[in-house]
Amino acid sequence: MTPRRHLLTAAAAWLVLSAVSMAVVAGVQILPEIASREAEVEDAAFVLLTVVSMPVLWFVVVGLAYSALRFRAPAGDVEDGPPVHGHRGFQAGWLVVTFLLVIGLFVYGAVGLLEIRGAQSADFEVHVRAEQWKWHYTYPDGLTSADLHLPLGRRVHLVLESDDVIHSLWLPALGVKQDAVPGRVTQAYTTPTLAGIYGGRCAELCGFGHTGMTTTVEIEDQASLDAWLQQEEAEPSSGS
Amino acid sequence: MTSHASGDHAILAGATEDPVEARRNMLLGVKLGILSEVMLFGALFVAYFVVRADSPSWPPTGLERPELLLPGLNTILLVSSSVTMQLGVASVMRNDRRRLLRWMGATLLLGTIFVGIQGYEFATNGFGLKDGVFGSTFYTLTGFHGAHVLVGLIFIAIVANRARRGLISAERHTAVEAASYYWHFVDGVWLFLFTTLYVL
Amino acid sequence: MAAERRTFPILAPGLPRAVIGAAIGAAIGAAGAIGLNGEAGQILGLGYLFALVGFLLGIGAFRFWLTWAIGREVDVHEEHAAHGTAGDWRRYFRFTTDHKVIGVQYLVTAFVLFLVAGTAAMFMRVELAQPGLLTDKDTYNTFMSTHGAMMITVALVSIIGGLGNYLVPIMIGTRDMAFPKANALSYWMLPLPVLLVAINPLLGGFDSGWTAYPPLSQQANLGQQAYLMAFVTVGASSILSAANFLVTVFRMRAPGMSLMRMPIFVWALTVTATLALVATSVVAAAFTMLLFDRLLGTSFFRPSRGGDAILFQHLFWFYSHPAVYIMAVPGLGAILEIVPVFARKPLFAYPLAVLSFIMIGVLSFMVWAHHMFVSGMAEFFHIPIMLTTELISVPTGVVFLTALGTIWMGRLHFKTPMLWVFGFLWAFVIGGITGVYLADVPTDIVLSDTFFVVAHFHYTIVGGTIFGLFAGTYYWFPKITGRMYDERLGKIHFWWFTIAFNATFLPMFWLGIEGMRRRVADYPPEFGPVNLFVSFAAFNIALSVAVFVYNMVRSWRRGEKAAANPWNAQGLEWQVSSPPPIENFGDIPTVTDTPYQYGSPHLPAPVSGPPAPAPGAAGLRPKP
Ligand code: HEA
Ligand code: HEA
Ligand code: CUA
Ligand SMILES: [Cu+2]
Repeated sequence: MTPRRHLLTAAAAWLVLSAVSMAVVAGVQILPEIASREAEVEDAAFVLLTVVSMPVLWFVVVGLAYSALRFRAPAGDVEDGPPVHGHRGFQAGWLVVTFLLVIGLFVYGAVGLLEIRGAQSADFEVHVRAEQWKWHYTYPDGLTSADLHLPLGRRVHLVLESDDVIHSLWLPALGVKQDAVPGRVTQAYTTPTLAGIYGGRCAELCGFGHTGMTTTVEIEDQASLDAWLQQEEAEPSSGS
Repeated sequence: MTSHASGDHAILAGATEDPVEARRNMLLGVKLGILSEVMLFGALFVAYFVVRADSPSWPPTGLERPELLLPGLNTILLVSSSVTMQLGVASVMRNDRRRLLRWMGATLLLGTIFVGIQGYEFATNGFGLKDGVFGSTFYTLTGFHGAHVLVGLIFIAIVANRARRGLISAERHTAVEAASYYWHFVDGVWLFLFTTLYVL
Repeated sequence: MAAERRTFPILAPGLPRAVIGAAIGAAIGAAGAIGLNGEAGQILGLGYLFALVGFLLGIGAFRFWLTWAIGREVDVHEEHAAHGTAGDWRRYFRFTTDHKVIGVQYLVTAFVLFLVAGTAAMFMRVELAQPGLLTDKDTYNTFMSTHGAMMITVALVSIIGGLGNYLVPIMIGTRDMAFPKANALSYWMLPLPVLLVAINPLLGGFDSGWTAYPPLSQQANLGQQAYLMAFVTVGASSILSAANFLVTVFRMRAPGMSLMRMPIFVWALTVTATLALVATSVVAAAFTMLLFDRLLGTSFFRPSRGGDAILFQHLFWFYSHPAVYIMAVPGLGAILEIVPVFARKPLFAYPLAVLSFIMIGVLSFMVWAHHMFVSGMAEFFHIPIMLTTELISVPTGVVFLTALGTIWMGRLHFKTPMLWVFGFLWAFVIGGITGVYLADVPTDIVLSDTFFVVAHFHYTIVGGTIFGLFAGTYYWFPKITGRMYDERLGKIHFWWFTIAFNATFLPMFWLGIEGMRRRVADYPPEFGPVNLFVSFAAFNIALSVAVFVYNMVRSWRRGEKAAANPWNAQGLEWQVSSPPPIENFGDIPTVTDTPYQYGSPHLPAPVSGPPAPAPGAAGLRPKP
């Protein structure tokens, strides 16, 4: 076969594999649970990255597999290959394409980032205090509880602090992960979109009890949240 | 003769037998070592600026910076010691061993007074290593620097001793030059320290 | 004087004296600290410091410098003796200044460390095989941290310290490193800290992970301190050896060996050494401040007294991100060195590959904060760091262009080293692409501190360093030992390792996305089956490594004798005998081109000087 034929055959295989796999992943939800606007953004970023990764991955895999199949030297071969030291077109093309891909990914990621962390406006503020190995949540009216209750459809501002070492509040369904650092105040934002009870955990190694440092978050509409807050006020069920 | 010729260089720089090459290797090595030291002090300075920026006031309430008099004097001492060191290098180039010894002696003297004053200051400052970030950064930075001064002094003393024994000449003076590079670096760090820790 | 020494062999420089020196040093240091009313930490600290000095004095690391310092002439014969004599196995256990000996010392040490750290990983996989706990969590954390710390050391020193030391002087056509004694010193600085990390469980273990974030690492026990001290020592050693490499490469190349004729492997190590030289002292400063916080009552990272915990992370990653390239770039260089030989084609786009290594080095200083996207650092870091991090894909991608371009239309010989090259490219592209997921803030918020990160960095470090290390070890084995390895066992090792490796770490991406945290001893039951599978696969990695160890040991002792140039390669190292003579070259050769002139049979090999030996018997050319 001529070099050109080799190139075309491999390119065809690459195109088909890329197109098929891109089509497959484009429609998939990758995050296991999505219950907030922020988590939606994160899932969309995941999908986009996976779609873009497919042609890159296949390029390398097809290149390797095709060469392994077609360019294997016969046993006892003593010939050398063609003395090609480079190819300006390919080199420039590769640089341009990877650069553009990267810039595209960056722009998309920056837009997502601004959506998650950018607009620093929120209408419900919860103070989160971490200690080895517990979480405490304090609501606007001063009430404190051991698990988190959030209103549906409002943008929530989480204000995190830690008493001892670094912890990290991770609420997967809400798309939140933020360290709580002693001596600092850190922030996270989330806009719950789906009512329900979700798990949460500490994501930063914080010593012996790190494994067990979990929490739950309940998303409910404003009315039942108010009811819960009132009831907690009357007879606290947990926390301090 | 040959063992002499290789002696000074082979011990500092190894694989190559050619003294000219060995000298250039050695000096490049010293420069690279200084580069890595620059990064070391850079990291310490970054730490200093960050905790200082974090702090509501500087120096924190209740603490005071040392008076400028002694550190100012120290600055003069150290800068002049750089000059004397350089004059020493110039002397050895001219193969003037007596002047070399004299200048290196002056450098040693100035450096030693510097260390003495620094020690006196450490002992009489109104704050200690444990006094919050102010004390931490002050003593860590000046302490690291002081340790470098000591190392420099020991190195210069060793080189001076070799010169005294006639092991250093215009053809073989790599060690003098290496010591001078190091000494200027230590001096430069002090200028930064002085401006940031004491003055600004 | 020499005669006296012979009467008291224990007092001659060497390992026995080093052990005694370390013991005496430890005793003096500890006694001093006790005398000063020190706490346990201070006793350990001072004891370790003096032990290190005692060890180095004992091994004879300072004897030449000390002689020089007191104004005497160094005994030239003794200096020559320190270089070692060919065929004397004892030189491997001494303060020997021959770069080839030091290379082997590094390489063997790294592999031993790899086995120890891998064994710790096996304990972790036992614990993680099922939900529920076998040991307590602290024990798990200690195994996890020790595994991480040791493996990082392996990745940092194995290729550059082992293969680099052995090969670079030969590849650039010189007789040794610029500073052979400093070179030996950087090796002998390693045993004690490595031992200290290995015994940290006796000191209460350390549970902060290799990243040692304060304030947690300020509360933790003595084992933690042991790790910090060890890391600083290893850092000092790597600064020393980096400076040595750079001087060697910049000043001691053979005539005709211009920078753009250097083998790509040498280029890779040059970039690596630059990174190590510049970045390492930053982490040393950070760890020293942390040690001061623990031992001397300073408060750099103590928030309760005005310190800043995030500051540590910035300083740590300012080193540790370049460090991941200190691990990966030598591997990239090794495989690019090997590809042309087994594809029988010139290296594709050599100048661009050099440029991209340099760009990787430059960019790697601008991306450190991507490890801190959820740490609460100042908000303005996110966007620029995301950009620079993703940009680093472009120069890294060039390595793939170069490798694929070389392979394409080549005449591929799938000897064991070439298999590892293919495995490398597969693993590293997965590691790299998943790195881009982590570089993207929206996805990193999900993935940070999960098993996705664990999978990412095993794909990059194992893919980038360990695959490269295996490729290089097989490829240069005949040169180093003068014997051929067993091809069949090599292939078994490759396939078994590669399949098991992928089966171990691919599922971890899924685990991470589904929400399994890293650094936990226990997890929700729904992850049970996958983890069981992972653990099973991980044990297969260990078994395949056993095949490797067997192959190496056996072939070294009685493998078939290797010719000077069994692969019919063009690098300078293949133009000398296997193993190379003690001074590497009779006459220093003159170099006329890059060592990648394949496919131009009418041209002579790009070297003049000593005539190239005839093509070897065991390699690509058919046996006569
Ligand atoms: C050898 C080691 C190595 C290497 C080479 C890399 C390479 C990369 N790493 Fe990785 N990384 C680690 C080792 C390594 N990493 C370790 C040890 C950790 C964890 C530390 C800890 O917390 O314990 C980590 C963690 C880590 C994080 C932090 C995750 C977190 O904790 O939240 C991030 C985030 O950005 C990241 C990103 C990247 C990127 C973008 C690359 C890039 O360099 C990859 C570039 C390569 C490619 C992209 C593939 C080839 C390119 C092409 C074929 C061109 C086309 C490609 C595209 C257009 C995408 N890494
Ligand atoms: C060079 C780097 C390197 C390498 C090669 C490896 C190799 C392996 N790693 Fe490691 N790993 C790290 C670097 C590395 N790791 C780092 C930096 C961390 C992070 C730590 C932290 O969070 O701080 C980590 C963390 C880490 C975790 C996550 C822990 C957690 O977060 O809870 C896990 C979990 O499975 C793991 C598993 C493994 C396994 C199964 C291997 C296997 O590939 C190991 C292969 C096995 C062997 C090599 C076994 C030895 C061989 C034998 C026993 C043969 C018989 C003996 C003789 C013949 C003498 N590693
Ligand atoms: Cu709190 Cu981990
Ligand atoms: Cu990184």
